[in-house]
Amino acid sequence: MIGSRAKARVAMALGLVAAAVWVLPYAWMTLTSLKPLSEITQDPTAPLPRAPTLDAYREVFGTIPVFRYLGVTLLMALSIGVLQIVLALPAGYALAKLRFVGRKTAFGLVVACLLVPPQVTFVSVFFMFSRVGLVNTFAALVVPFAASAFGTFLVRQALVAVPDELIEAARLDGASEPVIVYRILAPLLTPTLVGMFLVSFVFHYSDYFWPLVMTTDDTVRTLPLGVALLKEPGSGVRWHVVMAGNVILSAPVLALFAVAQRHLVRGLAGRA
Amino acid sequence: MLGEAGCRRAERDSQGRVRLRLWHSLGGRPRAALLEIVRRFHEREPGVRVEAVYQGDYFEALAKLRTAVAAGAAPALSHVVAEVLPYLARANALEPLGGYDGLGELDLVPALAQSGAFRGGAERPLYAVPLNRSTPLMYCNGALLREAGLAPPETWDELASHAKALTRSGSRWGFEVPIAWWFWVAMVGQAGGAVFDAEGRATLGGDAGAEAIAFWQRLIHRDRVMRPPPGRDYDAWNVTNQDFLSGRAAMIWTSTAFLRYLEDNAKFPVVAAPLPAKVKRSVPTGGTLFVVMRAAPAIEREAAAKFLRFFCETDQVTLLSQRTGYLPITRAAVARMEGEGFFASHANDAIAQRQLADVEPWPWEPKLFRIQRDIVNPRLEQAVLLDRDARGLLDEARRAAARPS
Amino acid sequence: MRPRAPAHPWLMLAPTLLAFGLFVFLPLALTARASLQSWDMLTEPEWVGAANYGALMEGGELWRVLGRTLGFSVIVVVGAMSFGLGLAVLVDRPGRVFAFVRGSVFSAYVVSWVAVALLWVWLLDPDAGAVAAIFRAVGLPRVGFLTDPRAALVTVACVAVWKITGYAMIVFLAGLRAIPASLREAAALDGASGWQTFRHVVWPMLRPTAAFVATTSLITSFQAFDVVRIMTQGGPARATTLFVYAIYEQIFLNLSVGKASALAVVFFVVLSLLAALQLRAWRSRGGEPA
Repeated sequence: MIGSRAKARVAMALGLVAAAVWVLPYAWMTLTSLKPLSEITQDPTAPLPRAPTLDAYREVFGTIPVFRYLGVTLLMALSIGVLQIVLALPAGYALAKLRFVGRKTAFGLVVACLLVPPQVTFVSVFFMFSRVGLVNTFAALVVPFAASAFGTFLVRQALVAVPDELIEAARLDGASEPVIVYRILAPLLTPTLVGMFLVSFVFHYSDYFWPLVMTTDDTVRTLPLGVALLKEPGSGVRWHVVMAGNVILSAPVLALFAVAQRHLVRGLAGRA
Repeated sequence: MLGEAGCRRAERDSQGRVRLRLWHSLGGRPRAALLEIVRRFHEREPGVRVEAVYQGDYFEALAKLRTAVAAGAAPALSHVVAEVLPYLARANALEPLGGYDGLGELDLVPALAQSGAFRGGAERPLYAVPLNRSTPLMYCNGALLREAGLAPPETWDELASHAKALTRSGSRWGFEVPIAWWFWVAMVGQAGGAVFDAEGRATLGGDAGAEAIAFWQRLIHRDRVMRPPPGRDYDAWNVTNQDFLSGRAAMIWTSTAFLRYLEDNAKFPVVAAPLPAKVKRSVPTGGTLFVVMRAAPAIEREAAAKFLRFFCETDQVTLLSQRTGYLPITRAAVARMEGEGFFASHANDAIAQRQLADVEPWPWEPKLFRIQRDIVNPRLEQAVLLDRDARGLLDEARRAAARPS
Repeated sequence: MRPRAPAHPWLMLAPTLLAFGLFVFLPLALTARASLQSWDMLTEPEWVGAANYGALMEGGELWRVLGRTLGFSVIVVVGAMSFGLGLAVLVDRPGRVFAFVRGSVFSAYVVSWVAVALLWVWLLDPDAGAVAAIFRAVGLPRVGFLTDPRAALVTVACVAVWKITGYAMIVFLAGLRAIPASLREAAALDGASGWQTFRHVVWPMLRPTAAFVATTSLITSFQAFDVVRIMTQGGPARATTLFVYAIYEQIFLNLSVGKASALAVVFFVVLSLLAALQLRAWRSRGGEPA
């Protein structure tokens, strides 16, 4: 076969071009963050910083409380991910394994929720929270996402494949329903649950919309909001500072990505 | 854990100091000046702790303020653009300040304070104390002017001909100004119109409104001597400043607020000039005024009043003004700056100061802000950038303005 | 299976259904009601009937927003799918290099929209941006990517394509890997070329995956907000005012809860139609989504 090696080479070259399209912007972001302001204003497109400095990072840390915002963001994403699993397991179990009147309706309601994104409901949710004094609280960031239609759905689908006998046997052994759900079935679903958690975590860590509309000041401000605020009005955008903020914002998820890419892929592609 | 943040906020911190929330929109130099004033205030008033929180630009911050009022979580102290003051007052969101110790008799520059920045502003309860106040100002690249043998333009016609003379196709625009309400209002006044008539109808300047748009359209699309800066709100302002500093724009209009910044960063002499006249000179005021939110706890409002009184002392007023280019807001500060020879050594500041004589006050109209944001601004962009029929768009805008919100 | 007690299923569903009731169904009803009122959040609301919808229709603003959003979605979906599929086929090979390429392309999916949007505003700056420098270097004209009303929507859409192509790629990859190797080998033995194998063997089996990618990215793109808010604030001249941004603008910038709610109701109806398409796509795979 002629050219199978040439073909491989072309594929490799194309692949590297693609990688460059995605990696070079990050590289540019990092390089910019290492430049002093004078280089940004005088020669913004010089490829390398002449006098690399961490000033921009110092300025980010001086302007916004990075660790507090990061802490709120991580805790929020973590709480949402855990709550979604805790709630989805029993609900998915009931929908997958138990026969009862109204099951179809209940399942229909869950599926219907897939259709209603936060962008439709946020106006009313905001006023509901404001009536009970919960706007601008951690609860307002987490509780609305405690139940995930997608998560419930995935757990149900995964449980359908689990044989009934397993549950029968556990019941005969005297296991209560919560024990069956959380101690016996949950471990079987680990791959599904890990994937689900990661997808949820990455989404909520990065979410801008909901924290933007639900917070009014910096009590529970999340990192994406803080970084977006680095673009100040007035004296010219200080791009080295904004890019430093970007690096700080992206580093945790990229690190997570490096460690758990496989599970994340399964969480996303598993839905297909 | 979830509920804990939802509990009532403590009015005092762990050391027993009153927590005074101050939401602000200041970046760069103005922020540094404000924080310095806060630091001085802490020295004077050890019983109060100012918690300054940056909330994004004026419009983002205003959105946050309004939602916080609706949610019952408003801070005591914030600052807003003049155009929204009548609306917030009518909505009963603002605390009248006249009764607070020393706030009723502040020696403010009338054109910059509620009394003179609004038609009939003196007859209303005092709702606002000026923070950073400005007017539009023209900035010219002194080197380019000299090279071309020109003085700053005095009229619209001169502006157009100067812009033509200073434009170098592909590398430099003669003129640049953000396509925005504030500058349009200035031009409406210069063309002899007003946004509201005496009966409170939104006339949007009538013929003057269309003339102002047509002038922009001519400079951009026919003469090709003006760059409409990209972006909205303060993005566009940033671009304008950068283009001026880098020599890509020879003359710009922007706020007096950037005087110091532009002077310090330009590699050429910055020559400020009053905005040119069509049938007369006219500028609106801009920047923001402090307001105290009625919904905040009494103890915090009291602390806010103390801060405002301190803020209006001459030392603070001159600090903010001299470091930024915002206009000094009390007569005592103007007198001191005069006496110390500040205006003699800072010709551009003196020009900004003199232009105060051309200030056209805002109408006290609750609708004013909606007309600015919802009705006029988007149509200005459409009309100017896409070269649409100005009269038609303004007719449409007047109809929209006449509808209840 | 029979539940141990009749109440058990409902107890297990209770937290989930309660959350959905509170945060999905009740707000939906409240939004529908608010769309019939005029309210600025500070003064008393007033009933105005269908006036909010009328105001949105007047001057065709609603249709413009809808058309713009659909146009944006078409670019994003077509772009992300073409690149995603092309890349999936390209990188479905063994070796460290291709693993690196997969990781690079997919990484944009995990980085927040905020970071991506800010990064591209900087890259696309008409004077100081790296892309502008490349354009200058190869002699292309100066483009106001985000500042020219004709270019801005396409630019923002391209950034969204950059962001979600990695997602499309990995879903296609999963689809490709689910195709038994024996089928391809059989086609190769029959003397089919690479393209013929793809066209007649691989693609038919990938079609359900493609439908899935299409509908999910359609819905994602329909909900785009962060890129607009950070890159253009809906401008210039409203060229990038997409649906969700229009809702946000009505409530938080223009003081109009009623109009925001009316827009949200219309948005919900449109999304439901799109979701119906999604369900049909799933059905055509002969199974439930999983």
